[in-house]
Amino acid sequence: MNEKKTYEKRIAALETKIASLENARFIKRSTTPYTWSGWAERYGLIVAWIIVILVMGAIKPDQMFAWNSYASMFGSNAMVVVLTLALIIPLTTGDFDLSVAATMGLSSMIIAVLNVHQGIPIGGAVLAALGAGALVGIVNAFFVLYFKVFSLIVTLGTGYFVSGLILWISDSGTVAGISMELVRVVILTRFLGIPIGFYYAGAITIVLWYIFQHTALGRRMLFVGRGREVARLSGVNVTRVRSGALIASSIMAAFAGVLYTGMRGVADPSSALAFLLPAFAAAFLGSTAIYPGRFNAFGSFVAVYFLSTGIMGLNFLGVDSFVRNLFYGGGLVIAVAVSQVIRGRKEMT
Amino acid sequence: MKQIFMQVLLWGALAVPAVADIKAAAALVDQYRQTPVFEPTGEPFDARACMADKKMFVIPLTNANPFNAAISQGFVDAAEMVGFELRDWETQMDPAGWIQGINTAVAEGFDLIDLQGGLPPEFLQPQILEAQTAGVKVTATHNWDASTQGAPEWMDGAANTDYVTIGEIIAAWAIVQTKGKVNALVLGPDEITPTAPLRDAIIGYLEANCPDCTTKYINVPVNDWATQGQPAVQNALLADPSINYVLPVYDSMSQFIVPAIQIAGSNAKIVSYNGTPFVLDLMRDSDIVEMNVGESLGWVGMAGTDANMRLLCGHGKVNKLNTPAFIFTDENVATAGIPATFNDGYGDVHIDGFRKLWSLD
Repeated sequence: MNEKKTYEKRIAALETKIASLENARFIKRSTTPYTWSGWAERYGLIVAWIIVILVMGAIKPDQMFAWNSYASMFGSNAMVVVLTLALIIPLTTGDFDLSVAATMGLSSMIIAVLNVHQGIPIGGAVLAALGAGALVGIVNAFFVLYFKVFSLIVTLGTGYFVSGLILWISDSGTVAGISMELVRVVILTRFLGIPIGFYYAGAITIVLWYIFQHTALGRRMLFVGRGREVARLSGVNVTRVRSGALIASSIMAAFAGVLYTGMRGVADPSSALAFLLPAFAAAFLGSTAIYPGRFNAFGSFVAVYFLSTGIMGLNFLGVDSFVRNLFYGGGLVIAVAVSQVIRGRKEMT
Repeated sequence: MKQIFMQVLLWGALAVPAVADIKAAAALVDQYRQTPVFEPTGEPFDARACMADKKMFVIPLTNANPFNAAISQGFVDAAEMVGFELRDWETQMDPAGWIQGINTAVAEGFDLIDLQGGLPPEFLQPQILEAQTAGVKVTATHNWDASTQGAPEWMDGAANTDYVTIGEIIAAWAIVQTKGKVNALVLGPDEITPTAPLRDAIIGYLEANCPDCTTKYINVPVNDWATQGQPAVQNALLADPSINYVLPVYDSMSQFIVPAIQIAGSNAKIVSYNGTPFVLDLMRDSDIVEMNVGESLGWVGMAGTDANMRLLCGHGKVNKLNTPAFIFTDENVATAGIPATFNDGYGDVHIDGFRKLWSLD
C-alpha cells in the first residue's frame, strides 16, 4: 500500500516536472481554456477542415455538400485512421515504427493466403494475421530494447524484412477470392450510409483517447516519451511501456491490414507500403490539434479526414494528379508551420 | 434544281442523329472472342543450328511481378526447346540491378540482351551503348506499341505489342454492351510507356464510333494507385453516378477500383487489359469485373525469343509480337484456371507453331 502511495507521489512529481518543462502549457490550458491562441491551437485544424469544405463546396456544391460523398470517404479511409493510430502509440513513447505499413501488408497477405490457398475460415485467418502483427511488434521491441538500437533503424529493417516475407508467402502475386464475409463486415454493411469499417476506426480512436488522456498508463507513456531517464528514475518501467507500445502498434497495424483486405477482397504484396507516408503525415498533423504538442487520437482522426476531404474536393474539381500530391505534402507542412506560429515557435517534441 | 435537291439531301443527312457503329464494334469483339490462331512471324529457319554458338540474356522489369516472371518463363521454355543457353536475370525493379545485369551479360560474352516487359531502355542508354560497343545486341520485348510507338534508333530491335487494337476492343465491348451509350471513366498511369496508345485507342475509338458516348480520363501514377486510385474513382462515381464503365488501361488497378465502386454504390463495370490472374479470379467470383483482354505471356516470351533469334541469325527484324489478344468473360474465364494463370485459356497452338517455324520437328 505504501509502495503504491510512493509510486503515485513519484508520478505526480513527474507530471509536475514535465508540466514545468513545458511551461505548464497543458495544465494552464485546462484552467484558461478560452484564450484565443489556445482555442485556435486546439481547433484550428477543424476550422481549416470546415473552410476546405466550404471553399470547395462553393465551387462544387452538388458533390461537396452531399452526405454520400462523406459517407464514402469516411468508410474508405478507415484503415488509414487505424494505421495512423498505430503509429502514434510508439511516437508517444518516443519511438518510431516504420514497419507499420509493411505489417499492414503482411496481415492482409496472411489473411488472403490462409483463407484462399489454405482454406482456413476467415475468422481464423484474421486471428493469425493479428498474431503475426504481435510477432512483428515483439521482434521490434526485442531489438530496440535489448540491443538498444534506435527504433528508426530497427523498424526500417524489419519493415523491409516483412515486405520480403510478403513477396515470399504470396509468390509475388495478388490473391483474390477472399471470403466475402470479411468484405461484408468492413464495407458492405452500412450504418447511416457509412461503411461499418469507419465505426471500428472511430471506436479505436475513442479507446485510445481514453487511454492516453484518462489512465495512468497513458500518463506513463507520455512521461516515457518526454523523458526516458526522468521516467525511469521516477519508477516507471520504461522497458515495459516502450515494448508494450511497439507491440500494440504492430497489432493495430495488423488490424489496419484486416480492414484493408476487407475493403478490397484481395491482397497484393506491395500497395500497403504506400500508406506509410500518409499515416505519418496524419500523425504529425494530428499532433497540432485537439491536444497540441502531443500525438493524440482525436487529432489523428481529424487529420486523416481533413487530408482526405482535400483530396476528395480536388478529385471533384478534376485537377491533375500532381496537384493532389502538392496538397498532401504542402498542406501538412503549412498546417504544422501555422500551428507552430500559434504555439510561439516552440521546439516540437 | 439539282442544287436544291442536293441541299435537301444534305439537310436530311444532318438532321438524322449520328448513331454508334455497334455492328462494327460487335464484329471486332467477336473476332477476339475466337480461340487464338498462330500466324508465322516470317519464313521458317533452323533455329537449333543458328543458335548453336549463341546465348541470350533476359532482364525483366522485375522478377517480383508475376507478369514479368511469366514472360521470362516463355523465354526459358523457348531456349529449352531450341537448346541454347539463356540466362533470366533476377531484378527487383532497381536500376542498379538492371545495370549489373547488362555488365554481367557483357562480361560473360552473351550475344544478346533483351529488356522485357516494360523495362525502359532510356534509363540505361549509356550501359546499352557500352554493351553494343562490345558487340552485344540489345533488344526489348513487350515495351512499345507496334503502330504508334517504336524503339529508339540506338536499340538493335524491339518486338512490340498491338496496344491500339487492345484499346479498341475494350471500347468496342463497352459500346456493344450499352448499345452506344457509354459513359466511361478511363484510368491510366501516364508515366508507363504503353499507357498512351491504350488510352488514346480507347478514347479515340469511342469518339470516332459512338457519338452518344462520353469519357473522362484520370491519370493515376503507379506509385499512387493504392493511395489515390480508389478515392479518384470513388469521387468520380459520386460526381457522376451515370458512369457505367470504368476502364483502367491495366487490370491490376482493378483491386482499387472494385472497392471504390462498392463504396460509391455504383453499378459500373470494369473492363480492362492484361489477363492478370487475380483479376480473372475477381471476374469469376463477382459481377463487377465484366471483361478482360488477355494475352498468353508464355507466348509473348516465345515470340520475343523468335524475334531475337531472327535478329542474331540474320533473318530480319520482327517488330510486332504475333501474340493475339483474347477476350475473357464470365463464359470462358474458367478456362484460365481456378485460380487463373497467365497462360491457361489461350490454347497451346503457339508451341506447335514455333516448333515448325524453328524447324525443330
